[in-house]
Amino acid sequence: MSTTNATTAAPARIAAASSTKVRTFVVTVAIVGVLVYCICLFFNLPAFTYHPAVNRVELWWGPARSGEGPAMYWYGWTVTTLIVSPIVGYLATLLPENVGKKIPLILVWLLPIIAIPYLIWDLRQWWFHP
Amino acid sequence: MAGPEPDMLRAKKNIGGKRMDIISVPTWWTIWMLFHLIVSVGLLGALTHQAVAVMMPVRKMAGPAGFVTRFRAVPAPGYAFAVCIMWVITFILGSYIYIKYRTYIRIPIEQAGYWKTQGFFDFKEHVASIGLVLLPAYWFFWKNAQDPEYDTARKVLTIFLCVACWFLFIVGHVLNNTRGFA
Repeated sequence: MSTTNATTAAPARIAAASSTKVRTFVVTVAIVGVLVYCICLFFNLPAFTYHPAVNRVELWWGPARSGEGPAMYWYGWTVTTLIVSPIVGYLATLLPENVGKKIPLILVWLLPIIAIPYLIWDLRQWWFHP
Repeated sequence: MAGPEPDMLRAKKNIGGKRMDIISVPTWWTIWMLFHLIVSVGLLGALTHQAVAVMMPVRKMAGPAGFVTRFRAVPAPGYAFAVCIMWVITFILGSYIYIKYRTYIRIPIEQAGYWKTQGFFDFKEHVASIGLVLLPAYWFFWKNAQDPEYDTARKVLTIFLCVACWFLFIVGHVLNNTRGFA
């Protein structure tokens, strides 16, 4: 019984790993994920703000308050990205297969490379701090 | 009559709870940082093997294999799933110790005026997040390593993640030298 399951499960896994829908999903997540992260950074759009000194979580963006220590936004930007990109990825799988296949693979690796100079520019306050 | 306890003091007392009776606060965070380091070393090794294998694949062995040949002659597709898991674990551990870093390490670094060091840490966090969203595509391209359509994307993505991992590792190491948890 278990042998039968194992022999049928393996080809099923291989098929799942090579299906067009999976391809569309992962390619979209990679492209949208990089874009959403950079957009979150540019417009400062965290899903939440964490105040570590008082262990408090605040929805969306919140300022650092006097007597409460610093505010952390990176968790919020990452969570926004991890929520938005799989949703867009799933929506992309609903497109007709021929449309999904047309998503250019080059963007999967080109966008992260292009994002690097942008991230360096975004941190200019540290590089040029007097 | 004592006034209400400030939020910051109350939160400081609660950090760690019972565990702080057994080990000190710096030890607690140092242990987690070491876990973060250990998994990242595994990730670094796996990604480096894989990146070298895609850049300089071994086609045919002529004579006895040297160190470099053996280094790049690894079954690269077998590393993909482990790399994804290790990246996620390293990311989670890094996210956890970041809580302490923000208050205990970053503030003194800023006070000392190490602005570029701080900039490199912020860059590190961005690169780690970008790497995270690339993992599903990276895994898929390696699962379909026999499909020539994905060759370029697989190679460039693997090299990108390898360079990113080395960068994250070195910045983390330098930051720990600048000011660690202990």
